Amino acid sequence: MSNLHHDDHNHDSHDHGHHKETFISKYVFSMDHKMIAKQFLITGIIMGTLGMAMSLLFRMQLAYPDMKLPFLENIIGQWGKDGKLDPNFYLALITIHGTIMVFYVLTAGLSGTFSNLLIPLQVGTRDMASPFMNMLSYWFFFLSSVVLVASLFVEGGPASAGWTIYPPLSALPKAIPGSASGMTLWLVAIVLFIASALLGGINYITTILNMRTKGMKMTRLPLTIWAFLLTAVLGLLSFPVLLGGSLLLIFDRSFGTSFYLSDIPADLAGGIERTGGSPVLWQHLFWFLGHPEVYIILLPALGITSEVIATNARKPIFGYRAMIGSILAIAVLSFIVWGHHMFITGMNPFLGSVFMLGTLIIAVPSAVKTFNYLATLWQGNLRLTPAMMFAIGLVSFFITGGLTGIWLGNAALDINLHDTYFVVAHFHLVMGSAAIFGMMSGIYHWYPKMFRRKMNETMGQIHFWLTIISAYCVFFPMHFLGLAGVPRRYYANSAYDQFDIFVDMNQFITIAALLGGAAQLIFLWNFFSSIRNGKRTEQNPWDSNTLEWTAPIEHIHGNWAGELPTVYRWPYDYSKPGAENDFIPQNVPDAGQVDEQAEPDPSKFEPATKSTHAAEKDSVLFSVVKRWLGFAN
Amino acid sequence: MRIITTVLRALFFVSLLSISFTGFSQTAEEGEKLFSANCTSCHDINEKVVGPPLKGAHTKHKEDWLIKWVKNSQKLIKAGDPVAVQLYKDNNESPMTAFESLSDNQIKSIIAYIKAESEKKVDIAGTTTGTTSTTGDVPPGENPYTSRINWLLVIIGVLLIGVIGQVFGILNKVSEIQGKPVINWTSINGKLLLAFVSIGMIASIWEFIVHGKLTVYAYEAAAEHGAEYDNMFFITVAITGVVFVITQVLLFWYGYKYKADGKRKAVYYPDNHKLELIWTVIPAIVLTVLVIRGLKTWNDIMNHRDEKATVVEVFGFQFGWNARYAGEDNKLGNHDFRQIGVVNALGVDPKDPKSQDDVVVTELHFAAGKPVSLKFRAKDVIHSAFLPHFRVQMNVVPGLPTQFNFTPTITTAEMRTKLNNPKFDYILLCNKICGGAHYRMKMKVVVDSPEDYAKWLSTQPKLVSASAPAADSTATAPAGPQASLVTPATKTLASK
Repeated sequence: MSNLHHDDHNHDSHDHGHHKETFISKYVFSMDHKMIAKQFLITGIIMGTLGMAMSLLFRMQLAYPDMKLPFLENIIGQWGKDGKLDPNFYLALITIHGTIMVFYVLTAGLSGTFSNLLIPLQVGTRDMASPFMNMLSYWFFFLSSVVLVASLFVEGGPASAGWTIYPPLSALPKAIPGSASGMTLWLVAIVLFIASALLGGINYITTILNMRTKGMKMTRLPLTIWAFLLTAVLGLLSFPVLLGGSLLLIFDRSFGTSFYLSDIPADLAGGIERTGGSPVLWQHLFWFLGHPEVYIILLPALGITSEVIATNARKPIFGYRAMIGSILAIAVLSFIVWGHHMFITGMNPFLGSVFMLGTLIIAVPSAVKTFNYLATLWQGNLRLTPAMMFAIGLVSFFITGGLTGIWLGNAALDINLHDTYFVVAHFHLVMGSAAIFGMMSGIYHWYPKMFRRKMNETMGQIHFWLTIISAYCVFFPMHFLGLAGVPRRYYANSAYDQFDIFVDMNQFITIAALLGGAAQLIFLWNFFSSIRNGKRTEQNPWDSNTLEWTAPIEHIHGNWAGELPTVYRWPYDYSKPGAENDFIPQNVPDAGQVDEQAEPDPSKFEPATKSTHAAEKDSVLFSVVKRWLGFAN
Repeated sequence: MRIITTVLRALFFVSLLSISFTGFSQTAEEGEKLFSANCTSCHDINEKVVGPPLKGAHTKHKEDWLIKWVKNSQKLIKAGDPVAVQLYKDNNESPMTAFESLSDNQIKSIIAYIKAESEKKVDIAGTTTGTTSTTGDVPPGENPYTSRINWLLVIIGVLLIGVIGQVFGILNKVSEIQGKPVINWTSINGKLLLAFVSIGMIASIWEFIVHGKLTVYAYEAAAEHGAEYDNMFFITVAITGVVFVITQVLLFWYGYKYKADGKRKAVYYPDNHKLELIWTVIPAIVLTVLVIRGLKTWNDIMNHRDEKATVVEVFGFQFGWNARYAGEDNKLGNHDFRQIGVVNALGVDPKDPKSQDDVVVTELHFAAGKPVSLKFRAKDVIHSAFLPHFRVQMNVVPGLPTQFNFTPTITTAEMRTKLNNPKFDYILLCNKICGGAHYRMKMKVVVDSPEDYAKWLSTQPKLVSASAPAADSTATAPAGPQASLVTPATKTLASK
């Protein structure tokens, strides 16, 4: 065990050789990647439940704008006086719902959970490069969650300028009550969140590049790891931009600057006249993160489903290299398309043309991925486990939501679709539902790895069917609301005759959403009760090839009791002709195969070899480059 | 059409109120028009919007006081009127827009309308809102009923979950005893996948037929560039539609067809470069077509310039719109955000000769067939001017002038005939989250025949018509002799 934590000798809870695990060090300030993964997951689930509850509240408002719902006052007090949701609080709800879902559930909850759980286990190492940073990453995230939830209770209510918090609405406390202290807390929460994402991301990248076990070439990595790697790179390159943007907004709000403000008279802006800034600047900074963020959310989900589909189809993933190529292409392109959120902000139409070109090109690698998924299913021997069902659901949403992306990415069509319910339908399918399904797929698939027990299958299947039905019933009709010109973020449509005809549709959507909410209760029950009561798992319950299933069921510090496994093959040798089983784990050699690679040797990471350890310290980047170029040995 | 609506509305009032109220109801009707043109962005009769609900306002304050308040509430507050100060405090100290332009009589008609509306609720109280309370109390007699239903639903839900849980518990026990799972999910899922995609496809088609008709693409766009836009739109719909059906059917069909049966082994098929090349190149070609067409459409729409276009400024503020017509010189007068105040709502420089003939209105009129250049300006936060029927949208950003050039083609009257909907109106609505009453921030848009348009424009008073020097009209400016900056009154009268 002493080969662990070479970089935190000073931490007293990790005495070399003997770990005295206290409750605190095991469950709270844990530095074990498996425990941190569980912490991320459970925090994510709690935040997700909150976000979902909020969505149900505002869906009730949209379906029954004139009805008084007395229970509202019991739940949200003055914001639901007489059973009527306050319009300002409605905006707060959609804002916090969006923030929670995008950042707290689908970034931290998804990527945080599965990157932490799977990276060390699937690349074959004992823990993250820096377990201490990993722990910090979780606690920054936790702190950030606490601050965001606390913002629900301040005077004026939480931030309510939409999750994209466009200034001047978010900068001027007089413009909307939520832009008072609620917005300050939102910004603090996001700054903490970014710290967490960066601490995590640096760790993921370093671990994947430097700590792969013997024989684990980059081209033998499971697609999950490729996805996590690119996700972390995206986050590392884009989150700092949002941090910078947020700091400027804090200056505008609290110190009288005008980065984002122009032509704002003094009485609106705290007594100081604001000129010379540009509200559009914020949009550029925000979407420079915001668009890669979409892929930060989506790529891990795609990675998870690639793995789940291959395992449960008992077939190699079709076109492994093309899959890597397409996520690489998506990752690179995602940095040059942010302007498609801003076609009609008054940006130069020529810029719009450029962003439109980049945006539509992304459809090509996405199409390749879809067809490769279909080809993987073709002639497979599909085990329709809940994880597999959710993976199929993801592909379905990815298609439906992806195709409407071709409408919205077209600058011309965006003129009339921008900010309507069509957009809401689009991103809830392709990013919301698809990513949630990827996350669910991962939870059902790796639950045995996390909790040593399986989740109840029947409940899982029912959860899947109710969720996919409800998601389609909620989001598919929204396309038509959007095509009729109904704007998003409207508290009620009753002020417009043309939109009021959709009241039936809105009620249908809300009922479907309530059904979806009920389905998640089944999931919550299944998830939490299976921790104690689930059926005990075998070591490799899904007959999978990847390394995590060669680790013992019992969680041990350092993952593998003896030596780390050596990798002899790619992770997708399913149903290989001539093989005895329909799967060959990565650590099984072919007859006569020797480990021929001069791959990174895990012994390098042991503190025993002091010289390499010192070399490690001088420059991680340098050593990565050296190793990649093959000079390090 | 207007006559019919007028008659209907009059009949409605007659039926509600007694005959002796007939004369009054006409004032109330006048008030209704004024109310919807000036007040609805911040007020509702029964609900709090930005300002408080106005139900019963006529009983709470004297008419004289109300007139003073509506004309310039800040003046009352500054003068230390205790009622005004209290009201200001009760509403988070957000000042109400001043309506110096409204005449006493017009305000009286608005009050009459509020009175009629407040009392109307009384008349039909038995069925909907309950008691005659003017303070906006929750009507007793309604809550217990609704809440009983709510609780009933909750109880039913809990019971249902309980029952389902029990059933699963039993099934699990059975499967434990038998040693094999009772429910064969693979076979059930196979069938469900097939059912799901079949029903899903039918439902999608149903959606297109039934709800497709309700979209703005179900009928011709009301602007010249709309044809090209709609062309692009339907090409995209067709291409993505085909891909949608093929891929979804294949996905679910494979799920059904290749489900494990325990006998078969999957085919080891890791790669096929030819196949991959095909499905990289084909999407690439299709997207190239879409990109080229899209770029052409986009550039055609955005780079459209017409020197003769009528210049109209659309001014967005929390929570409403104004429009400023450039007048005969077709040039808008200068503006300065520092001059924006309760009276000079748009901050137009009154000394600028170009602004002398400008016309400010609260209803947007276009002449069919005449190109127009909309210039957008915002007072406080970002808004977005969205005219879905024209395929027009542009963000309205404080400090960043934006514009959209287009040519409306179909008059409101023609559109009403086309849609067989006598009540149809074009709208300009706010499509960028801008605050609490975002959802009410709209402006009526009328497309007239060129003659009607000219007639309408000529009846609108000029911005600085025969006025005394109107400089420095800021928030604190006293009610000066400035001409109406907002003139719905004249407009309403003219439309009669």
